[in-house]
Parts: sequence; C-alpha cells; structure tokens
Amino acid sequence: MFGKVLIANRGEIAVRIIRALREMGIRSVAVYSEADRDSLHTILADEAICIGPANSSESYLNMSAIISAAAAVKAEAIHPGFGFLSENAKFADLCRQCNIKFIGPSPEIIDKMGNKSEARNTMAAAGVPVIPGTKEALYDADKALLQAKNIGFPVIIKASAGGGGRGMRVAESEDGFKEAFNAAQLEAEKGFGDNSMYIEKYIKKPRHIEFQIMADSFGNVVHLGERDCSIQRRHQKVLEESPCDVISPELRERMGETAVKAAKAVGYENAGTIEFLLDEDKSFYFMEMNTRIQVEHPVTEFVSGVDLIKEQIRVAAGEKLSVKPEDIKIKGHAIECRINAENPAKNFRPCPGKITDIHLPGGNGVRIDSHIYSDYSVPPNYDSMLLKLIVYGKDRKEAIAKMRSALGELVIEGIDTNIDFEYDIINSKAFEDGDISTDFIPKYFPEYVKGAKNL
Amino acid sequence: MLRDILEKRKGKSKDVLSTAATVSAASGNEGKNIPEIPDNMWKKCNFCGKPILTEDVRKNLYRCPRCGGYFRVHAYRRVEILCDEGSFEEWDKDMPFVNPLDFPGYKAKTEATREKFKLNEAVISGLCRINGEAAVLCVCDGRFIMSSMGHNVGEKITRAIEKATEMRLPIVIYCCSGGARMQEGIISLMQMAKTAQAIKRHHDAGLLYISVLTNPTTGGVTASFAMLGDVILAEPKALIGFAGPRVIEQTIRQKLPEGFQKSEFLLKHGFVDAIVGREEQREVISRLIKMHDRDEIEKALKSFNAKKDVNEAERTADEAKPGAELTAWERVNLSRDPKRPTAKDYIDILFDDFTELHGDRCFGDDGAVIGGTAYFHGLPVTVIAQQKGKNTKDNILRNFGMPLPEGYRKALRLMKEAGDFGRPVICFIDTPGAYPGMESEERGQGEAIARCLYEMSGIKVPVLSIVIGEGGSGGALALAVSNEVWMLENAIYSILSPEGFASILYKDSKKAPEASEVMKITASDLKSLGVIEKIIREDEPASAKNIAELSKRMDEEIADFFGRYKDKSPEEMTAERYDRFRSF
Repeated sequence: MFGKVLIANRGEIAVRIIRALREMGIRSVAVYSEADRDSLHTILADEAICIGPANSSESYLNMSAIISAAAAVKAEAIHPGFGFLSENAKFADLCRQCNIKFIGPSPEIIDKMGNKSEARNTMAAAGVPVIPGTKEALYDADKALLQAKNIGFPVIIKASAGGGGRGMRVAESEDGFKEAFNAAQLEAEKGFGDNSMYIEKYIKKPRHIEFQIMADSFGNVVHLGERDCSIQRRHQKVLEESPCDVISPELRERMGETAVKAAKAVGYENAGTIEFLLDEDKSFYFMEMNTRIQVEHPVTEFVSGVDLIKEQIRVAAGEKLSVKPEDIKIKGHAIECRINAENPAKNFRPCPGKITDIHLPGGNGVRIDSHIYSDYSVPPNYDSMLLKLIVYGKDRKEAIAKMRSALGELVIEGIDTNIDFEYDIINSKAFEDGDISTDFIPKYFPEYVKGAKNL
Repeated sequence: MLRDILEKRKGKSKDVLSTAATVSAASGNEGKNIPEIPDNMWKKCNFCGKPILTEDVRKNLYRCPRCGGYFRVHAYRRVEILCDEGSFEEWDKDMPFVNPLDFPGYKAKTEATREKFKLNEAVISGLCRINGEAAVLCVCDGRFIMSSMGHNVGEKITRAIEKATEMRLPIVIYCCSGGARMQEGIISLMQMAKTAQAIKRHHDAGLLYISVLTNPTTGGVTASFAMLGDVILAEPKALIGFAGPRVIEQTIRQKLPEGFQKSEFLLKHGFVDAIVGREEQREVISRLIKMHDRDEIEKALKSFNAKKDVNEAERTADEAKPGAELTAWERVNLSRDPKRPTAKDYIDILFDDFTELHGDRCFGDDGAVIGGTAYFHGLPVTVIAQQKGKNTKDNILRNFGMPLPEGYRKALRLMKEAGDFGRPVICFIDTPGAYPGMESEERGQGEAIARCLYEMSGIKVPVLSIVIGEGGSGGALALAVSNEVWMLENAIYSILSPEGFASILYKDSKKAPEASEVMKITASDLKSLGVIEKIIREDEPASAKNIAELSKRMDEEIADFFGRYKDKSPEEMTAERYDRFRSF
C-alpha cells in the first residue's frame, strides 16, 4: 500500500479523497492554488503545497507544478479526482515516466476512450451496441434516404460540422425525410459552410443510464449497478439516482454484463463508467466511457456498499478487487442532488462569494460531501458545485421523502444557490411518477430553460 | 476560524485528524516507489521562463508550446522538418580540418566540438526534396563554434552552390552564424567573397537562391551569402544584423530599442521578403521553388490555354457594349469611392496562392505597393499593385495608396526578379499619385519613378497593367510601361488630379469638375487617344456586390492577353513596348 498520496484536485472531491486516505492510514498531500489557501482540502490534508495562481491553467492543470510537488514530497501516487487532469492521457503518462502511480487507467486507455469515434469503434468491435448511424458523409437526399431506411425510422439528421441544434432535423418516417434532409443541409451550409451530413437512429425520450465498473490489474472486473442521470440541464447533470426504476434485474444483468465486457475489451483498470442511452423499448446503446471517478459515485456507494475511492486506491496499489461479482447486491435506493453556487433566476449564472451561514441536514441515510463551511469564500475561478446531498432509503419512495426532508432543512446563506430548483424537482409529480428522460427539465420546468439555446 | 481550530486539533492528538501516527506503520513500504523526474523531461523556456515538456518542444518544431518562442534547431533536425523523408543526401560530410593560421589550440577545440556534437563542421550540405521539389540545401548549426564561417564552412557552401549551378537546381541556405571564425583570421574574411561570387554565377545561370535567416544571423555571414537570396525569408523574432547589438551599444553608447535587429525590424526596413513560421516553411519554400522554375514557367506560358471555357463571340460582343452614361466628374468620384474594391480584392479572386514578397532591399517596405508571386490558371505570374486602405487604420498603413520611393523600388525589384525568371507581370494601378512628402524627396521619388520607367521597358516578359481606380500621373505610369494598359470603365488616368489641373490653369481648384471634362481622363477618352487598349465594362459601378462578375470579365480578358502573348519572343515583347510608347 502507498505511504503517501497527492490529490491533484480541489473542492469536495479532494476532501472526499483525503478522508478516505486518512481512514486507510495513508498520508495525504493537497495541492492548492493561491485562491484556495483557505479551502477545506488545503486545511484537512497532512501536507499542502501551493502550485500556482488562481487560474486553473496555471495551477490545477499545471502538470509540471503538480509532478514537481509529488516528487518533492515523495508522494507515491496521484489521485486526479474528476475534471482537471483526471482524463488527461499525457498527465497519466508523465506520472508513469516519473514513477508515480496515477490512480486511474493507463494513458493508452484514457487516450483511446477520449477519442469519441475510436471509443465507439472499439466498443462496436467488442460487441457492445452503438447507436446505428452512417459512417461516411452524406450529401444527397436520395442516397441518405436509402441509409435512413437501413437504420430504421425515426432518424435524426445531423450536420457533420454541427452543434447547437443547427443543421439538425428529426424524420419520423419516409414521408418528409427528403425535405427534412434538404432543410438541415441548407442550414448546415449556411451556418458552418459545410454541407456534409450524417444520420443516426433517433432515440425518443432516452434515459441517460451509466454503469459503474471497477477493475483491478489482474483482469477482474465488476459492475456496481447503474445510475440514472437523465435529469440534466444543458447537458449538466442536476440529480442522479440508483437504481433506475425502469431497469429490471434481468435488464440490469444484461447491461451490466455488457459494461463488463466493454471494460474487459480494452483491458480496463481502476474505476470507470460506461454511459448508455436507454430507449423506451429498453434497447440500449453505448455513448461513451468515462475513465475517472464521477461526481455521482456516492449513490452507487450507498446501494452497493462499496467505497469506490478506497477501492480505486487499493487497485492502484496493485491489490485485487475486494469484492467479487457474486458479493455485489444492489439494495435500497439512493438519490443525489448537486447544490451549486448559481442563480436559477438569472440563467444559472455562477454566484461566488462568502458563505455567511450554513446549516446541514443529517440523520439516518443522509450524506453530505462538501468543502464549504461558515465564512468560506467561494472563489469565482472554478466549478460552482458546493455540495452533494445524497440520501439513502429502503426504496425510491423513502429516498424521495428523505431528500425532500433534507433539502428542506439545507441552508446556505450569503450566496445564491440552486437549492430551490432541486427542491422543485424532487417535489414534482413527474419525478415521483418516474416520467424521466433527458428532456425532463425542458418538459416540466420550461421556466428554468429560458434563453437556453442547446435544448 | 475553522483553520485555526483544526490546526490546533491536529497538534493535540496526532491521530484525530492526522495520519502521521499511522504512517510509520506503512513506512515499511516507503522507498520502494520513490518518484523520480527523469532528466531532460522538462526544460525551462529561455523566452518565457515557464517549464515545458521536452517532448512537446520537439512536437512543436522546437518552439515553446507556451509562448511560441523559437529555439535553435540542430542542422539534422532542420532537415527532418523541411525535407521529404529520407530525401537528404549529404555532401562533403568529412571535410578534413584546416588551420590556415596555425592558430594554437584551434585543432583541439575543433576536434572536441566535432566529438561533442557529432558534426564535422558548422554547416551541412546536400541534395534534398522539399514537397517533391529537388533542391540543394545548406543548413548552419549554431552549436559548432557559434556557426562561425571559416574555410570549411565557406568551402562547403561554395561547393554546394557550384554544384547547384552545375545541376541547374535551386539552392536553399538556412543561415545562422555569429560571423567570422576568428581562429582563421583573414582566410575567414575571404569566405565572404568566395561564397558571394558563387551565388552571382548561380543567379546569372537563371537559378533561384532562397536564403532563410534564423536566430542569430550576424557579421560576415549577413554581409555575404545570407543577404544575397533572390528571396530572403526569416524566422520570427530572429536576431539579424551586421554588427552585433553589444558592439553597437558600446560604440554609440546608447541602449538599443526593443526589437532592434529582429526579423520584424528587417521586414519593416525592406531587407526580408517575408517572415515565415516554422510550420509553413516547407510549403512556402516549395511553392517559391515552383514559382522560380524558368523552364516550367516557359512551358506553362507556351501551353497556356486561353480559351478554356470562354465563349469568344460573347466576350467580344460583351466588350463592344456601350458603357453607362456618366460625366467625367462623376467617374472621378466613382474612381475615388472608398467602397470601390481595392487591388487586393481582385488579386484574391483572380489568382491562387498569392505569396506576398516585401521590401525594397534598401530602405523600407511600403504599404502602398504590394507584390508577389501567384498563379493565374496554373501559370506563375508576378502581381504588383498599388493598394488603398479600407478604413482609416488600414489607410495609414497603406498611406492612402500614395507610394513612397521604397514602394517603387520594391515594384522595380519584383519586376526585375520576374524578368530574370521569365514570369509574366500584371500590375494593378490605383493611386492618387506618388506621395508628395519630405521623405519622398529625401529618398529620391523622381529617381525611383524614372528607374521604373527605364527598367520596365526592358523586361523580357509580357507585362499588363490595369487601372482599377485612380491612375494619378507619374505615380501611376511607373507601373504602366507595359505591353498593354487597360482600364475599368469608371477608372481615370491623368497627368494630375482635376483639382491640381484646375488650380494651375484656372487658379481655382473648385473648378475641378469642369477641368475633368476637358482633361480627357476617362477610359473611353483614353481609348480614343490610344493611351489604353481595353476598357473593362462596369454595368454598375464596381463594388463588393459585383466584384465577382467584374473579376470574371477581367479573368477572361487576362486569359486572352496571355493567349496573344504566349508565343512572342522576349525581343518582340520589348520591341512592341518600345514602339507603343515611341508613338506618343
């Protein structure tokens, strides 16, 4: 086991990792920017090293400063957390060259999975279902129609150079396909000066389902069930839960096995997440693989009973997985709300500033992962997430009740937060009824997406 | 404060919030996995001072990935960057050491340097291909006694030039030098003449020499082969000068300004054709080689297909159509309209791969005149133009289209260069007149214009001039001693401005509108007078809206021009030009 680990991150995830290290009897080394002198991770770690100015490109993304810090304190491993350098293959490679264990997969895998089309091809080759679509650019409506028929309607027509919904059309059937194609192509031509198009199967009301996997260096891979992260605002997750109530044990088995197969196909090591789109008809398609620990990992920890951070550290130190597939029983229901320093009334504008007062809920099945405290000043330089509130109940109903209660008690004064927004979601009938898909927020909370162009 | 409370707690009991107590237990494993940063993994950028990954520097063509600063490149790395893989065939790899002055310690120093860098001398030479183009290449290496020029450097370069002349190949020299090799004294000085005369012979054989100045190029190298390129390119921010900055400062006892003797300074002062980033050098150099291949240009001209997709009857009929009914004064105003397309607008539409070349190699680079090489339907041509600005800022840079003497000297340099390599010349004229300022007189505006007329008459390639806006007097004529002169319908061409004419003859510049009517300055008047050969009709006054249509018309006419001139001998072309102006 390691004697000392450096955490190349900040905020709640750095605190989460420091706590795990402390429990394991491993010394922790925090790195911090000039703006984070009083951040909780800086205070809680056994050692703390300043690595640069507030701007993250000069500090938390500054590879030479972080590697030098690790070498200076003789840290044997670096935990990258999420964001920043966590999916940077070059950083992982530099760690390896400097005889520092990067707590995560190899640079080669990070690189492979970071390239969307390569990841897709790798997964398709391993027999993982991917969204059917055209591989080559299309220019002609007649030829495109033949392809669309092959894929099966409904299809979505997208501009190769596209983005932001422009040059994009959904065609429900053969009727009107050509018109839709030509209209999208015209938009693409005008908007991006590129009229090459491609077609994909259109998934109506999809759910964003991701499977947590954990792999050791001996080729053992387990999956720890799924998380439903469909509730998103502009592709940002707002609330996550586990398990997903429309996934039957048989489907979980099938999707989980696919995720394990995918991980084995690339020789994966450490924690990872396989993201799928789940269709209403329960077909599922690979979207991408995240090669890091994720923000929403605590919901999985609640329902599986596995401490993912500790498992990451153990596996990185060359130990075998502490759990076997047959040991893993998904039990109960967990929900996480992300509390951010942002103002929903002002298009979720970030609101840094000083926290004047704070009250945190507690009790049976309530967990808080956070780096904030009374009198703490939230710097404007980083992600606005303040706190993760995670609850655990025997079933979804109890978890919802617990989240309602906990959110009702949560007080953060001095800065604007999205607590009320989360409260509205958890109290909505649509959420309670489980009418969930990736368009949940625009559908049920249109007042919160005004001015949003991406939806 | 939370920090104070927790710090106190850490101090009190080691195992409450600190893992220090448990570490000793785990320390049995310590030492097994000591992190160690390999040597040379990081470098410190000597421009911005930031740490940079050695690997990133290499991938970024030896430039700082953070600040973009240019590091020196070893000669063989330079070959890798520039040449097609495996194409470099080195010559004179093992030239024996010479010590002409029997300088004590020189042999030992040279041998040690040879051993240390695995280099025979401060320059390597050989044959290579650059994007498929065969060329002779010399590359200086600054690590070898500061790439100073002694006998062997001079000898390797001279042999390479001579071989290039013999093989009828262009030569590219990447210059880098501290100057003369002190240990070789006067023999080192002689290398300057030796290399320069070899380049003269190479040039006289109609062959191209591209000199690329890298950091630093100073002393005797600058004062010989480095500054003799037909085309002189420089890497950004390279120190280039004859006397080193320290010598200058000590002599004049003044601090030199920021940027003095840097590439950008030389560009501004007219000594560098272009500053080319390392990532573009292969592309730019190979393109320039193609643009200077006499035989290929001749072939392209002879086989030029003028009638590609032009309906000849339509074109002729089009030309005969009557233009708009406008007064001369209205046309004067149209010719000066700030919204009228400028030369660069036409160049961008009519030509491909316009490669701008700067400077008069004498004093400066004039913004009012632009020039360079380009393709016209695959035929290499030289394009020279008077360029007006589009807005106030641009107009200050372009001096409102009024060239200074250095503008004419640049035009002249590029025309002569075109003549030397057999490349046809197309000029676009758009100037209120040559700039009437003090500096113009100090630097000989009259001489510069006169020299243009004089030299232009003898250029042995087809020359075409098109007046696109204002054709102001001698300032316009300097680019119009051509085989044919054409005008856009609403362009004017005159002895001086109507305002000037009115103030001389009527003693009142406000009578310019009346003057314009009697001066015969419109395209149709000038065609009747035989001053121009062709009018390019403007259905509507030229603007951004109809420039495409107007350019198409120009394109067809220019193609027709080359069709008419492609088979003429150089003597015929100069004789026709002579007769054209002899008739006035």
